[in-house]
Amino acid sequence: MAPLLEIEDLHTEIRLRSATVHALEGVSLTVEAGECLGIVGESGSGKTMTALSVMQLLPPGGHITGGRVLLDGQVISALDDEAMRHVRGNEIGMIFQDPMTSLNPTMTIGDQIAETVRLHRGADRQVAADRAVEVLGLVGMPRPAERIRAYPHQLSGGMRQRVMIAMALAAEPKLLIADEPTTALDVTIQKQILELIDDLRKRLGMAVILVTHDLGVIAGRADRAVVMYAGRVMEDTSTLRLFGNPRHPYTEALFAALPEKAADVSGRLYNIPGQPPDLTRPPAGCKFAPRCRYAQDSCRAAEPPLEGGWDHRYRCFFPVGAASDDAGAAAVAAAERVEASRQRAARAAADGGPLVAVQHLVKNFPVTAGAVLQRKIGEVSAVADVSFAIAPGQTFGMVGESGCGKTTIGRLIAGLEKPTAGSIVLDGENLARLSTRERRRRAPKVQLMFQDSYASMDPRMRVGPILREPLAIQRIGGRSEQQARIDAMLDEVGLPRAAVERYPHEFSGGQRQRLGLARALILQPKLLVADEPVSALDVSIQAQILNLMQDLQRDLGLTYLFISHDLSVVRYMSDVIGVMYLGKLVEVGPADDVYYRPVHPYTKGLVDAIPVADPRAEQATRQKGVAGELPSNIHPPSGCRFRTRCPLAEDICAEQEPPLRPFTAAGHLAACHFPLRAPEPGVASDAAVAPGQTA
Amino acid sequence: MALFIVRRLLQAIVVLLLVTMITFALLRAIPGNVAAAVMGPNVYRDPAAIKLFDQTYGFDKPWYSQYLLWLGHIAQGNLGYSWNLNQSVSSLLGQRIPKDLVLVGFAIILAVLIAVPIGMLQAVRRNKAVDHFFNGFSTVFYAMPSFLLGLLLILVFAIKFPVFPAEAPQGETLGVIFSNFNAMILPIATLTLITVALFSRYMRSSVLDNLTEDYVRTAKAKGASERRILFRHVLRNSLIPIATLLGLSLPGVFSGALITESVFNYPGMGLLFFQQAQKQDYPTLLGVVIVVALATVVGSLLADIAYAVLDPRVRYTS
Amino acid sequence: MSMPVMPPDPSLGLGLSAGLTSVPAAEAPPAEAALPPGKPRSAFVRGLEVFVENKLAVTGVAIIVAMLLFCFVGPLLYYGDTTVVDFAHETLPPGAGHPLGTDQNGQDVLARLMTSGQISLEVGIAAALLATVIGMLWGAVAGYFGGVLDAVMMRIVDAALSIPVLFLALVIVTIVTPTEPVLIGVIAVTSWLTTSRLVRGEALSLRTREYVQAMKVMGGGSARAVLRHIAPNAIGTIMVNVSFQVADAIALVVALGYLGLGIRPPQEDWGAMLSSGVQYVADGYWWLIIPAGACIVIVITAFIWIGEGLRDAVEVRLQRR
Repeated sequence: MAPLLEIEDLHTEIRLRSATVHALEGVSLTVEAGECLGIVGESGSGKTMTALSVMQLLPPGGHITGGRVLLDGQVISALDDEAMRHVRGNEIGMIFQDPMTSLNPTMTIGDQIAETVRLHRGADRQVAADRAVEVLGLVGMPRPAERIRAYPHQLSGGMRQRVMIAMALAAEPKLLIADEPTTALDVTIQKQILELIDDLRKRLGMAVILVTHDLGVIAGRADRAVVMYAGRVMEDTSTLRLFGNPRHPYTEALFAALPEKAADVSGRLYNIPGQPPDLTRPPAGCKFAPRCRYAQDSCRAAEPPLEGGWDHRYRCFFPVGAASDDAGAAAVAAAERVEASRQRAARAAADGGPLVAVQHLVKNFPVTAGAVLQRKIGEVSAVADVSFAIAPGQTFGMVGESGCGKTTIGRLIAGLEKPTAGSIVLDGENLARLSTRERRRRAPKVQLMFQDSYASMDPRMRVGPILREPLAIQRIGGRSEQQARIDAMLDEVGLPRAAVERYPHEFSGGQRQRLGLARALILQPKLLVADEPVSALDVSIQAQILNLMQDLQRDLGLTYLFISHDLSVVRYMSDVIGVMYLGKLVEVGPADDVYYRPVHPYTKGLVDAIPVADPRAEQATRQKGVAGELPSNIHPPSGCRFRTRCPLAEDICAEQEPPLRPFTAAGHLAACHFPLRAPEPGVASDAAVAPGQTA
Repeated sequence: MALFIVRRLLQAIVVLLLVTMITFALLRAIPGNVAAAVMGPNVYRDPAAIKLFDQTYGFDKPWYSQYLLWLGHIAQGNLGYSWNLNQSVSSLLGQRIPKDLVLVGFAIILAVLIAVPIGMLQAVRRNKAVDHFFNGFSTVFYAMPSFLLGLLLILVFAIKFPVFPAEAPQGETLGVIFSNFNAMILPIATLTLITVALFSRYMRSSVLDNLTEDYVRTAKAKGASERRILFRHVLRNSLIPIATLLGLSLPGVFSGALITESVFNYPGMGLLFFQQAQKQDYPTLLGVVIVVALATVVGSLLADIAYAVLDPRVRYTS
Repeated sequence: MSMPVMPPDPSLGLGLSAGLTSVPAAEAPPAEAALPPGKPRSAFVRGLEVFVENKLAVTGVAIIVAMLLFCFVGPLLYYGDTTVVDFAHETLPPGAGHPLGTDQNGQDVLARLMTSGQISLEVGIAAALLATVIGMLWGAVAGYFGGVLDAVMMRIVDAALSIPVLFLALVIVTIVTPTEPVLIGVIAVTSWLTTSRLVRGEALSLRTREYVQAMKVMGGGSARAVLRHIAPNAIGTIMVNVSFQVADAIALVVALGYLGLGIRPPQEDWGAMLSSGVQYVADGYWWLIIPAGACIVIVITAFIWIGEGLRDAVEVRLQRR
């Protein structure tokens, strides 16, 4: 049977003012009817360009300069705009990454969905509106007939993405292209949306192209996968075969850079050196050769063709063959890791008191409204009575989704916010009591590393003054001593000393995060709060920074509070993990213990929801995850805040807030009336206990 | 929505009160005796008249009670008395306001009707000949002082090619104005042209901003035509900031009206203001300022309401 | 709040890769030693580059320079004294000895144009600068302190903005005799309002910028925040505004001059020239109007072009590249 979509040797260019970007060179792939194809790659790989080229939605200056695209045997790449309009939305639907900006803010969602139908079916208003309600119900929107009059800003992120999907499906296309559909969403919502797309695919007999940078998403959903790099297809095969036996060095390197694979490589991530190539001047020969650890001269001389057995093609002269995934060995390794991390956590706790002890921390933000002057009409309960401790030399990982309060806790500890109540004791001093004037005293003890180092550095300052500023504020040393410290710090983070002359905007994302680290550490703080330090980076660069952070921790004896929404990164980096939900700490304990043997239903749901780069594991977690939407934290649910989404909730959960109590002797605590496992024998688990105290 | 309107109304009232305070402060800043200023320097020979004047108008009381007294008068519609023209200010303004409504009203409506399509056209054909042409047009008319434009129009259309009269209709009532509408063409054209120059620039940049938004890409992906995207999606979103800008530019339009009226000798509030300024007829001057400020505040309020109508994010803040 | 992954833009990438390590990777140090090519370019230089590329902006600068020379250096080379009345030669059309004719006082129009220009330009530029200073102070205080002070200060601005500038200026001018400094003051006082709004907006948004927060974490205080981080980054927007302010100020002083409420004779500015020339429009004495009018339009247009060029330059600085 002929494939539904065929892309033959597609070349796409983008003509800029000063240069031409060769976005796609000779991309060929096929999609069968009803199948799900995953296109995976990092930024600049060309995966989005491929999708846009199919739809002829290229950005200004973009042109298809060679090859063709066939839909059901018909050449669509040669169609003019008017003919293409019949294809878009009708035969092929597309959804994009950010549902907030991708929806028209001044049209109701009903009108936007109905528009697709009216454009392609010529339906009148009533028929189109009915169809809109029908499709909205299909995508899982509760009470669709009421909601069609809502505006996009009134819906949550997950709901908006459902609306986008409804819009794309309303005219029953044969193919749905999803470009990073879940990247902007919380992990638990992400899983819901991916399940929805899968479900619809089967029900409607539609094909799906899933474009993403996340290998875990591909593992769980795609039948076949294509790996792209620098505008080329590097490997093309079925998902199982890709994950079980990757042949291209880039694919192999990608897997090795994943935090979840780290355990196999004795704790250190493989990081792919260098950067993706500049596509205005693409290198001759194999595009990956400059960064490939197996590259030979012949790789740089000529480009390998995409070849291989019928079902597994790869573009490499010297393909690799990775070891197959052994489920049994993995289980044993997991148990060993759990034990190792418990010992680490116990050792750290026994070494003396904690470095940081947070007790009953509360932070409320006022919500104001008012005609002439602002009045307070409500409060956002961002952090609600959280207590935990961090031992010296440890990494405490704080994980949770939007609104959970983890970022607020980081800011409270770093001094950017004042707590409403509670204490933060570091080195015997209660930081919460410090006035803003005494802020300068806090700085040498706690420093903050930001997610976006570009925004956190004054664009008008060069690197030298940026790094010197903390020293100047703290009045440390004279000019030469400061310079010596700056040089030493740059060496530590792996940047050349000449960088002091440059401006932040001249560096790449990964290099800027290194600068952020350098600046945060130049005062030699005892505690470094890292707020989403790698979330904005590609996987390969991420690995570089994580490795660096681990090295620095070892060399300089640092303590980290590592905040992230990405549980697999947190698990890799942390000794102890704390799981936050809607302002509450619901579970805390040794990292592998919490990850592999969660006690709280939310933690389990979170773990299940994370896409892992293992098709079999993904299969196992189908239909799991967390249902429902995040409640508002202005009016959080009574009792246990998670109860509205918890499958195990009973009446008591609404009446009584569960206390945080121990489940193991090694400091694994959770707050739940119906935990997933019973406390270990010998552990007194009735009373609430503050973390950091072993029972 | 109702809440939003109430909020804006309260803000408007506060602003109006502040306006009265500012104008009152100006009134008090006049050096010398107000009575002398109003009635002429000869009054110095007649202290009793000064005393009477002061007592009648409360100028012998402390300033805060003066202010309240004055405020009370205004609230009752008593804007004072123009000694110079021997008429109550309210009745003076009553005659003039409708004339301004005609001039300014027509000009603004025409300006919007012309500027919106031009702005859209410019944005869609960005950097092409059409764009550059209208850019030049709007720059020149924006840079040209309104009186110069008026003079040029008179020079061309009333003197060289006598199509329209050089002077606006002088009649007291609106009826006279409308029956001589020919003579209104040039003044309205002057005011309209300078307003169009301003609005089309705003519209162009607003449409340009919207054309690069993500929702346009989504609409394309649905198969919508360029035309449909422009008129059904972009237009409404582009008009949102224009509504606020319209409100903000009202004072400027009134300034332009003042000059236009003096060029064409049109008996509106602006001309009245100008003539009486030279005669230091303070009651009239202040009366006009209050009325114009009121008009601006009301105009802003209406513009903000239009903004709320256009933008659902403002209407339904969850 | 969601956590989007923002991929860096590779199509404008640095084009360099780190040195190759053929050692199995786990032990090799992160080879990030590559620096971007070229010399470091500060934000200022980048902005300057964009400005210089903008032909209209450069033309604007050229025009202003030419006009300043014309008005201030011109009279030294041409007729110096334009105050002597010479009725024998009144209202002559352009011809020998008088390239632009003479006006109703027998004065050479070209000479008058130069000296009038001095007034118009001086008042316009000085008033705009003064307005900017006042507006900056007002707006910075309101934006920095926020809260009730901000609300009150901005309501006052709103109220004052409701009164059209021309009206306000006229009232003031009837109270005080307009000498040149007074004119500058009047125009400045009526123009600072929009600047204050702008500066306040900048102060508010810059206060919450991450680099200001980062500085706080290092222990820095408010003074440092304002002086080292907020003010320098607001300069760009303020410079753009100054340019447009000058254009508006010149328009205002010219309007006042036309209405006869500008500078008093025997001094004249371009507006007053137009005002006196109006009487002769019916006689077709175009040289009494067109030259002054043209100068006004050219100068204001030049400042608009400069302002727009500055705006583009400042926006580029704010972008990543």
